[in-house]
Amino acid sequence: MTKDTKMNNSTLASSPAKKKKRRGASLIERRDRLGWVFILPFLIGLVFLYASVIWESFTYSFAKYNTIPAIRGGGYSLTFVGFDNFASQLMKTVDSEGKTFLELIFTSFATQIVDIIIIIMFSLFIAVLLNQKMIGRTAFRAIFFIPVVVGAGIIAKIDSTASEILDAMSSLEGIDMGTANGGEGASGLVSAMDVNMLLGSLGLPSTFTDIIITLVQNIYEIVNRAGVQMLIFLSGLQSISPAIYESCSIDGATAWETFWKITFPMLSPMILVNAFYTIIDSFTAESNEVMLAIIEISPNGVPSGEQSAAAWTYFGLVIVSLLLVAFLFRNFVFYNRRND
Amino acid sequence: MNNKQESKPMVVKETKNKIKADFERTSLKERMKAKYLNSFFYKKLAVAIFRFVLLLGISYIILFPFFSKISASFMSPQDFIQSDVKMIPKFPTLNTYKYLIIENQYFKAMLNSFILSGICAVIQMFVAAFVGYGFAKFKFKGRNIVFLFVMLTMIVPHQILASSFVQKFIYFDIFGIFEATGLYSALGLTQGIYNTYVPLILLSLTGLAFKNGLFIFLMRSYYRGVPDELEESSFIDGYGVFKTFFKIILPISGPMLITIFILAFAWQWTDIFYVNTFLPSSENLLLTSNQFWSVMPDTLEVLSTGAGANVQTFEVAVKNTAGLLVVLPLIILYIFCQRYLVQGIESSGLAN
Repeated sequence: MTKDTKMNNSTLASSPAKKKKRRGASLIERRDRLGWVFILPFLIGLVFLYASVIWESFTYSFAKYNTIPAIRGGGYSLTFVGFDNFASQLMKTVDSEGKTFLELIFTSFATQIVDIIIIIMFSLFIAVLLNQKMIGRTAFRAIFFIPVVVGAGIIAKIDSTASEILDAMSSLEGIDMGTANGGEGASGLVSAMDVNMLLGSLGLPSTFTDIIITLVQNIYEIVNRAGVQMLIFLSGLQSISPAIYESCSIDGATAWETFWKITFPMLSPMILVNAFYTIIDSFTAESNEVMLAIIEISPNGVPSGEQSAAAWTYFGLVIVSLLLVAFLFRNFVFYNRRND
Repeated sequence: MNNKQESKPMVVKETKNKIKADFERTSLKERMKAKYLNSFFYKKLAVAIFRFVLLLGISYIILFPFFSKISASFMSPQDFIQSDVKMIPKFPTLNTYKYLIIENQYFKAMLNSFILSGICAVIQMFVAAFVGYGFAKFKFKGRNIVFLFVMLTMIVPHQILASSFVQKFIYFDIFGIFEATGLYSALGLTQGIYNTYVPLILLSLTGLAFKNGLFIFLMRSYYRGVPDELEESSFIDGYGVFKTFFKIILPISGPMLITIFILAFAWQWTDIFYVNTFLPSSENLLLTSNQFWSVMPDTLEVLSTGAGANVQTFEVAVKNTAGLLVVLPLIILYIFCQRYLVQGIESSGLAN
């Protein structure tokens, strides 16, 4: 008996390298290879549809696109121009204030970063609130996820083009005067003047006041953009075991301490996910000013080298910022019981 | 006596009867006092009120645009000249609805939208589950790289790639099979699969449709939380990988699948870009086709010019009403399904 086990042990210890060569993959490895079958639908799309489309767009950025008129056979021709598209487009003035495209990208990054931080904080806060037991929780949840379901697409489009109707209904000089004064109408919901007065009387620095005012004025937009993040946070909150909270309260932790010592670390993977999602969502939304500028280069959908160049510069920067966020968050994210 | 007490601490046994007797002996006033007149209760009450008011306020912000849209939809052109008309129209009318429904073929568009969104949502749901499972449970080489590509498909918006996609679909072919067999001419299609539902279905099938990267990501996180033991036990029972997936994994992921389905359905329903890029012809009228929502019915134009109103402003109002008509079926569906939306994502317990 003992001899047998000993022999087994020795063979086991000495063989893996040899065995691998002889038998090929192990059972688990062979099973893992089946993963390719599962991701096959995406792979097919990636290789046959997406890769070629992306490649096309990428080559446009280094070339000049010419449409050949239908009389001469139709189609298009590309002439390689190197980095000319990038050079001309990035330095082009796109703004009424005389900003170049590159400057526009960076100023928009700055405002977007503030927005993104606010959206993540807001959605975390609301998710924590919606997770508590209270009167009308179901109703509140239903209302808060309305923007997720209907807020995107057509309603956003109509809202962006048709805020004058809201203004018309709330401001006195509305339609008959023909002026829809931007920003001060019902789309602002709260008068910026009041907030300014209030904060000014408190003696706060003006940069802080500005941030608060833009926050208050854009509250509708922020609520609309925070829906999916709330959903993800809510699911994360549900996955935290109630036993942890229980033991915390027995040890005498206050709600504040519990939040920072338990909820926050346990939610840190979700915060990373939401940071990713919010960055992608807000940088590539149609309402983003850079995206508007990019689409404006060739509004009819005719491919243009300059548009591709601008777009790829922008996406490159977005990808870099995503990597940066991943790098910064790496040490803060706490993974519970994960072993891979 | 003392010794005895030390060795055996007195334990007051609170039987049910004793508690009940105590409870009845204290007067109602005393009981209420003990319950409500303490700092703990005040604090709790203050927090609850603060929370309630805050949530109510934000709910108002979310719902206000809908209220204003609803009230504007009942306004007649005359109301837009009157400067004192705010929320409640002075000359309420149903004409906007009437002519939008009749002249812009609302019901036809709704049926088409329903079919397209239904098909796409079902496909996207299963594809996301399939691909997400592949990423979550199989440790093959290169999966992280492929997953980066999933992220990439989310980063590059399709608006930039629209023309390339359209080209691709007009000249769509699989190794020249369609051309050789004359499939397109047999079906009467002159522009390949452009102007049919096929491009959108194809994008759904390959996980490239609107925000499908997010769906794959959600399903992957969900399946990571499913214990490996479940699959191992089914493996021991003689199920293969695929049988395990279809018979065991899919059924348990029901709530999450419903969440994905709701999101996919709603986003396809309100989608405006794909519909107008790939299906611009009026045969495939959908609710979000430009022919439905951004074309002013002729009768309404006549009415508004007749009333001396600013046609442009009235057109904006008509668009608003059209938008309401688009989301109305969706909201009705949402009212019935909203608890599944939250339930699914709650039960998922995404942990990574």
